[in-house]
Amino acid sequence: MKKELKIKQKERTNPLAHVFDDFIRFCQSKSLFMLHYCTGCGAIELPPAMTSRFDMERLGIQPMVTPRQADILLITGYVSIKTLKRVILTYEQMQSPKYVIGICSCTVNGGMYWQSYATAKKLNEYMPVDVYIAGCMPRPEAVMAGLQRLKDNIRNDKKEHKGSAWKDYFKRYDYYLGNQQALFGEDWQTPTDIIAEAKLYGLETEETYGKHTKLLEKHQTPLLPQEMRIK
Amino acid sequence: MNKVQIDEILNKVNGIKITHKRKTRIRVDVDADSLPTLLELIKGRASYIHLSAITCVDWIADNQFELVYHVWSYEEKCLISAHTRIDRGSEKNPAKYISVYDLFKPADFFERDIFEMYGVTFIGSPRMEKFILTEWNGVPPMLKDFDAEAYVQETFKWTDYNPDWLQELTDQGGGIAVKPEDIRTAGNTHNMSTHRERDKAKAAAVKANDKMQGWKQ
Ligand code: SF4
Repeated sequence: MKKELKIKQKERTNPLAHVFDDFIRFCQSKSLFMLHYCTGCGAIELPPAMTSRFDMERLGIQPMVTPRQADILLITGYVSIKTLKRVILTYEQMQSPKYVIGICSCTVNGGMYWQSYATAKKLNEYMPVDVYIAGCMPRPEAVMAGLQRLKDNIRNDKKEHKGSAWKDYFKRYDYYLGNQQALFGEDWQTPTDIIAEAKLYGLETEETYGKHTKLLEKHQTPLLPQEMRIK
Repeated sequence: MNKVQIDEILNKVNGIKITHKRKTRIRVDVDADSLPTLLELIKGRASYIHLSAITCVDWIADNQFELVYHVWSYEEKCLISAHTRIDRGSEKNPAKYISVYDLFKPADFFERDIFEMYGVTFIGSPRMEKFILTEWNGVPPMLKDFDAEAYVQETFKWTDYNPDWLQELTDQGGGIAVKPEDIRTAGNTHNMSTHRERDKAKAAAVKANDKMQGWKQ
């Protein structure tokens, strides 16, 4: 069992705060935009799940084309190490609250590619995963059940337990960064400043920092606004 | 062009062995020295203008690489596969061969791929550098002496199958029949030479596991 990490929380004075929270969670769970990052063969089950046959939209879930406007990141299948870099960049660009679903056995444990030198094995070493849908490949029914499970998790997330996996990325950034560095080398840096974001959301804990973030600080180049120019 | 005519052209190359597999396939075996001559000859004299692939086989026991050049003729509707063997080289002195880029431009692509996967350097090829495996810094992964399984075991961690949440399913008659860890330990026999041996070891592990768990049908 993971130990509870303390965050500095603002004092909440409104007596109706928990009612609002509940309402917000209800609304959140009813309207989700999904970015499907089709890395592997499991993606083939998504068209029927999204379109008229199984119709994801009746759950309030719609596909979205950009990570910046999506709530769910759907990883459908094996993630090669080269793809994993892109997946992490995509994930970090998404706005919180964000959810990750790993479809296919390959995201759980490498699946049938467990012997391969080129695929990452456990997706949740590199980013927090909310729901895994196992199967090689899972049928659309299973995909729908998984999405329903995610919705329930978000709806019933009173104690910030199941539906708040995304917070874990900020709370234990050092762990995730460490795993990423082990694969991509020590000079790995993403264009997103996670530590600054953790501060912004008020989600820093003692495990946000560590020896891996120190390593990052050493070589981190500051992020500058891009020059706008027409050639 | 009939069989006799193509044979006549091919026989201009020293030490060539020609096998007509069927109407649309000819296999030739040549020395590494005369392969470029052969390709030039069939391109210039016999309309074999499309180099459709170069493949590489690692014959580790013979300490050799086999390179196969597949050249297609649109007019003859026939594929010539030219086989040749080169020295496998060693880590310090990697295998080298001459590029055929000046004859066939697509060779750039195939040679770069073989360079990455097998470490064969093609002299005269325009871009001998990383291609697909941009994240990879190890030995060329298609070599027979690269042990992918051992590499995976020491690089990655595995999900553990926590019986707490599985118990519920197991009570209902479901659950995991053979744990992945058991297959993996049985599979951890990368020094076994044949697949048959591996399969045997795996089957034994499965059986042992069945007994241990008292697995019911
Ligand atoms: S679990 Fe099966 S279907 Fe899914 S990505 Fe892996 S191999 Fe493909």
